[in-house]
Amino acid sequence: MKKGLTMHDAHRTDAPVIDVSGLSMAYGSRVVLREIDLQVARGEVIALLGPNGAGKTTTIEILEGLRKPTAGTVRVLGVDPLHADLHHRARVGVVLQSWRDHARWRVREFLHHLFVLHAPFLDDDPSWTVDALLERVGLAEHHRARIGSLSGGQRRRLDVAVGLVGRPELLFLDEPTVGFDPHARREFHELMHELADSRATTILLTTHDLTEAERLADRILILDGGRISADGSADELAREVAGATEVRWRIGRDRFVHASDDATAFVRELLAREPEATELEVRRSTLEDTYLAMVARSESTATEGASQ
Amino acid sequence: MNRTPLLGLSTTALRVGATRGLVDFRNSLQKAGDVTYYIIGAAGFTAGMVFLRDQPVPELGISTASIVFPNALAIMMLFVATYGLATLVTTEREDGTVLRLSILPGGVTAYAWGQTVRTFLELVFTFALFTVLAVFLVPNLTTEGVGGVAAAVGFLLLGVLATLPLGFVIGCVFSNPRSVGGWGFLVIGALVAASGVIVPLGDSPLWVQIIGQLLPLYWLGLGLRSALLPEAFAAAEIGESWRTLESIGVLGIWAVAGIVLAPMLLQRVVRRESFAQLAQRREKALQRV
Repeated sequence: MKKGLTMHDAHRTDAPVIDVSGLSMAYGSRVVLREIDLQVARGEVIALLGPNGAGKTTTIEILEGLRKPTAGTVRVLGVDPLHADLHHRARVGVVLQSWRDHARWRVREFLHHLFVLHAPFLDDDPSWTVDALLERVGLAEHHRARIGSLSGGQRRRLDVAVGLVGRPELLFLDEPTVGFDPHARREFHELMHELADSRATTILLTTHDLTEAERLADRILILDGGRISADGSADELAREVAGATEVRWRIGRDRFVHASDDATAFVRELLAREPEATELEVRRSTLEDTYLAMVARSESTATEGASQ
Repeated sequence: MNRTPLLGLSTTALRVGATRGLVDFRNSLQKAGDVTYYIIGAAGFTAGMVFLRDQPVPELGISTASIVFPNALAIMMLFVATYGLATLVTTEREDGTVLRLSILPGGVTAYAWGQTVRTFLELVFTFALFTVLAVFLVPNLTTEGVGGVAAAVGFLLLGVLATLPLGFVIGCVFSNPRSVGGWGFLVIGALVAASGVIVPLGDSPLWVQIIGQLLPLYWLGLGLRSALLPEAFAAAEIGESWRTLESIGVLGIWAVAGIVLAPMLLQRVVRRESFAQLAQRREKALQRV
């Protein structure tokens, strides 16, 4: 990217917000990421899935500039995050898997404190206030509470507010809804949709909640064994796994199950061929089925690779 | 490598840091544990002064309390600005406070300045408390008049510069708050013993005298005694002199070293901070519970 490009120019360019190529990461002899390529466009919402230890947090840490990759090039908002300046930091929001910091601070006081740090970088938008943000994450009534006295879910919602306080162009969320009740979860999902739709915020989140990934993400990445083993919308991923849709029926006392890529054609043909068929059930495979199938597939490939 | 400095001076970061310092200090005054610590400190000081008030130093003919007061100020300085700050910095590295701020614009500056302001407020509060008590408990407190008080304040300020950055340095070098809190306490004890604030350094073995005179605590104590005690009492010191220039010189060297090293170490620590490390330390900390 050209030097001296201002923030407003950057908004207009179609350059990817995240541009990663050949990214590898090893801790000593343990390889965590193997030559990952990834482009994320402005306003995209990406969910990063994968088993524990698949390298999700490492990937996010590298994108945030907290870790130096072993190899590969990383560009986030056009710059190498390792060399990011104050301006860059102000454009990126991070929701940590936090612990117990600032326990004695009061909720509003703390959020306001961080708001002031961001203030020089915020354009004037009277609707973007600390109180509005507390309202959005459902902590308005707890604004005087000490952070240490919040429940796990409330604490998590405060973390989300902290990540949003600088009205970031790019938001990283590491398992954001752990400990949310269903209501808070829905509120959070609405907030994320709003950010992505009306503000074109680019969002990268990790989660173990597949329903959440399906509801929020434009694109789902499955990270497994240090590689991206799948990349696409929930629908696209489902289509990649053979027999994406399951058809069940009964004839007399016998029950039948068939997995099909094109369930409509299969059912049309089935009913023509078997007029006796009854109790017909057509079930689209869920993201969970897809995910488990994909992880299993890449594990078996890895085992074959290792045994050769 | 051409890195953008994480620590930079910006008015916003300094203002936010000042607020941080105030809030942290206020929070500490609202915490039962911290208040208890002040009360015990004040009670201990009062008991000591009452006990020593009527015991004159044989050769000097002055109340022992008069000599102990400047020494107590010097010990408190090291305790609050070095030991206390170092323990807090390691604790806040472990609990994620430093990491949380390090990913915000100007956050590291705000953190460092916030801890500086907080420590300074704690020192002012502690010294004010002890001075008020001393007015009632220590005979001949102001024999050296306004000049003496001004010199004492000057040495205290120089002492802050010598000991506070040192607190950051230790807090950055060591990463386990329980070790810093535990072993650090023993080290402070050893320093106090080797710095002529309990027994005159001249009475100690030569090797203790050498170590003592390399450390800031001895010179801070000496400076404060020179400010608050009559001129004639210099006879009891090493070289039978207050060695004012030497005091200023050694404290100045410690101050410069700390002010140069502390930001460098803090940046290094911040760059190495990551979530994975945080999670590791969290697990370690939980295993101990």
